Amino acid sequence: MNIVEYNNIVDRLSVQVKSFQEGFSILSRSNTLKELGTNFCHILRGNFFISDVNIFYKNNESAEWESIIINNGRCRECLPHLKTSTNVIIDYFNDKEFSLIATMPLTDGSFWGLVIGNKLDKTELTELDRITFQMFLQLLDNAYQSFIYQEKEKQLNFSLNHKVVQLNSLIDTGIEISKLRKTSSLLELSLERAAALTNASRGVLQLISGDDIISEIGFPNNSDIKKVFDSDKKIDTFVEFESVKYIFTLSEKESRKGIIDFDQTDEILLAAFARQVLAAIENEHLHNEAIEKERMHQEIEMAATIQRRIIPQKLPEIDGYDLAGINIPSLEIGGDYYDVTKLKDGRYLIIIADVAGKGVASGLLVNTLNASLHAYVENDFKLTDVADRLNKIIYKASTPEKYITGFIIILNPTTGTTEYLNAGHNPIFYSNNGKLTKLDKGGFAFGMLDFGLPYESDIIQIEPGGKILFYTDGITEAMNDNNEEYSDERLELFFLNNKPANAEIFIKNLITDVKKHTTDTPQSDDITALYLIRK
Amino acid sequence: MLSEFNLVTETKDNCVVINTTGYINNIGGQKIVDEFYKHNGNGINNVILNLAQSNVVNSIGISFLIEIIEKLNQSNGKLIFSNLDPSIEKTFTIMGLFQFAKKADNLDEALKLL
Repeated sequence: MNIVEYNNIVDRLSVQVKSFQEGFSILSRSNTLKELGTNFCHILRGNFFISDVNIFYKNNESAEWESIIINNGRCRECLPHLKTSTNVIIDYFNDKEFSLIATMPLTDGSFWGLVIGNKLDKTELTELDRITFQMFLQLLDNAYQSFIYQEKEKQLNFSLNHKVVQLNSLIDTGIEISKLRKTSSLLELSLERAAALTNASRGVLQLISGDDIISEIGFPNNSDIKKVFDSDKKIDTFVEFESVKYIFTLSEKESRKGIIDFDQTDEILLAAFARQVLAAIENEHLHNEAIEKERMHQEIEMAATIQRRIIPQKLPEIDGYDLAGINIPSLEIGGDYYDVTKLKDGRYLIIIADVAGKGVASGLLVNTLNASLHAYVENDFKLTDVADRLNKIIYKASTPEKYITGFIIILNPTTGTTEYLNAGHNPIFYSNNGKLTKLDKGGFAFGMLDFGLPYESDIIQIEPGGKILFYTDGITEAMNDNNEEYSDERLELFFLNNKPANAEIFIKNLITDVKKHTTDTPQSDDITALYLIRK
Repeated sequence: MLSEFNLVTETKDNCVVINTTGYINNIGGQKIVDEFYKHNGNGINNVILNLAQSNVVNSIGISFLIEIIEKLNQSNGKLIFSNLDPSIEKTFTIMGLFQFAKKADNLDEALKLL
């Protein structure tokens, strides 16, 4: 080629720059391989006036050529001539059906193959045409690189967005299932979400206790659960709560290319979902426990209120006597009890009792004792007979380890004559003129035995100045930090030596003395005392 | 709990309404795309996808929906999602689908957007 011809070509190429720019712009807008091929086909047709443009593609050296654009079916006969190489190969032909066969390697190891027919005016491809064609090939290569980078970028964005979706869904699902109160709903939701986020085709959640399958939930609903376990592409995990195993199994991870293996991210996600389910189940359990506890607490409160009403809020005034009492239960429902009742004949019945044990059961027995006692003393009675009947009733009403110790007096306030009966209770202190007498005649505690052994009672005379201290062992057995009891002896001394102005002050002083002994040691038993003094 | 996939199609005012039921996964997504191409081949360029009965979509299903969006974008067509479950709406938002498609609370609202 001489310089003039060379300059001509350069001039004409420079005119074609705009065409090259437009060509690249068109090619780089292609969204699919076919579109890229189609656009290139248009460019070649427009620039070379050739209608017979056939384009092939293969994604690696050993693959078969794939037809992208076919305008002449006979172009397939040229396929054996499409040789792959690390360089562009272009063969030009004259007087043949096709004027050009070319292969071009691409950066990702794939290849374009072109089989181009003759110009419409039947002329041969000029030197300019050949150069122009090579430049368009280069544009195709650049556009293809742009295309695959766009594809990679799209895939990367998709993948990143999907990771965000997975994390977001993990959080949202945790919140949602924590609001669900029905265990079945939260199990279904978590299985659903775990399957969707790992792209599993199917999933199963089994609840197993020992060797027994308690329940099975499948996803989707009416799919064959067996297919999940039969699959060789599956992942599973489990959590355990109260001896029940919750086993999550997911199978057949989907992709656009078919079923693929689950990856580490999927295993992490599944484990995270399982932990969320465990947390939700634990929360539901604690919630139910709290509700039950609150319900029981309210019932105990109710029982305690009823219980407190048995012990008189205000003691009756006994003419010529001073009387005061106190009951400090160690639990909400106590086992100690006292009562003062005026009988029809003007005498007074005073009782103090202590149920073995504490809590609701003891409170119920106290109620039984109180109701029965009041029923029996409505009319004429003998104290020993009443004791016998109370024994039988309590024996029948209670469990073997439960019984009630009690001390009952029937006081004639005018004369001071007092009949007493001690049913297994602590010896009650009675003092007259500074001399202590322990009142212990009676029999077994109520409800302890039912051998028909008769009770005994005795009579004392309360003179003016005489006093009785009714108490329960919650006082004498009150412990301090050194495990030392308050003791009978200390109480006796207190009873004898304390001579306050009235019964109420005596009771207050007694409690103060007990508290001085126990200091901060928690109260382990009910503290009950009743003090009667004849003026 | 979610059942396996099914769809029912109706045409309204130069638009095809695809009502889906069940899990939109590889199978569900492919069925939606096949149905879309069937109608798009007949010149229908507007699609309403009613997901009232589908509250689970996996990423493969989403990739099929993206394919429909890309195809419609080339011909100035529209895709409108209706009756989206809140969790699906959030997923689609994160995946960027609403940059190229619209959403509506129900079918009537979706038809108004055409």
